[in-house]
Amino acid sequence: MELSPYAQGGWRLLGDPRRFPRRPFAALLRAAFRSLLDHPQAGNSFILDDPDLKDIDPTVLKHCHAAAATCILEAGKQKADISAISTCLEDCKLDKERIEQFCTEYQKNKDALEILLGSIGRSPLHITDVSWRLEYQIKNNQLHKTYQPSYLVTLNVENSDSGSHPDVSFSCTMEQLQDLVGKLKDAAKSLERATQM
Amino acid sequence: KLNVGVDTIQHGVEGLVYLLTESSKLMISEVDFQDSIQVLGFSDELNKSLLQLYLDNRKEIRSILGELAPRLPSYHSLEWRLDVQLASRSLRQQIKPAVTMKLHLNQNEDQTAQVLQTDPATLLHLIQQLEQALGEMKMNHCRRIVRNMK
Repeated sequence: MELSPYAQGGWRLLGDPRRFPRRPFAALLRAAFRSLLDHPQAGNSFILDDPDLKDIDPTVLKHCHAAAATCILEAGKQKADISAISTCLEDCKLDKERIEQFCTEYQKNKDALEILLGSIGRSPLHITDVSWRLEYQIKNNQLHKTYQPSYLVTLNVENSDSGSHPDVSFSCTMEQLQDLVGKLKDAAKSLERATQM
Repeated sequence: KLNVGVDTIQHGVEGLVYLLTESSKLMISEVDFQDSIQVLGFSDELNKSLLQLYLDNRKEIRSILGELAPRLPSYHSLEWRLDVQLASRSLRQQIKPAVTMKLHLNQNEDQTAQVLQTDPATLLHLIQQLEQALGEMKMNHCRRIVRNMK
């Protein structure tokens, strides 16, 4: 696992006990993870406003926060193990205790990070739910005595970018719905067979 | 060839069209049809031909009239495909199964195709919900209504 020179510079600062005593170091790690994983909420105070960080020069703080965030994301992206992370941070002259602190914090947040990274990206419209309506048609202004059952199916879909999207709706006869369900069941059976391989 | 004016022909055709479409639309019985044209005072032979014309073409006329009704996009067919996402720019070493589908719909003579995707859990949920929908027609409530509407 490799970090850019800028990130490495930030970690070297983080590793320096004169610049970053124990408490601010722990506070920055917490802040870095929170800033990536917490949902942005209106009215939330800026995460780096931790009282333990008030004595640190703002430029240094910004540099170190960026370095920490970069390392977290890179480790998450590569699914790096502890030894790879440790090696990387050793190269930045961090002592064993601080490396262990980071790794512990990383382990705690690993799953949430993986979910977050996995959800980024483009994909076709995603179906989240379906609703249906069964009606019995009696007549319309062009034709009387039609006497036919008909289904109205609505698929709720989500866009990976913007979240919402107008639903896909269509009508179908009983035979067509049977066809649709049959095909969906084929897909499900294929899935089951694939997972058993 | 018929030695009749253009206007007369036009009115005749319009009259016939009206007679046939209205009768087909209302799906009137033979008896009702005969009673209706009785008032026109045609010969028995002509009445018989008209009745036959009605009965022969009723089904086709009704299917054409059916196309004029307001319609939502309707189902045509579905294609599907199993995918497994292995990696993305933001995350390596994934195993993310998904079902990608192409839903073909008919809308006013155009055919549209929409690409959609879903995960295995949602797929099973969709199947369960739609099977419930199909089962409804077999329930007593629906059966009773269908019986009584005819």
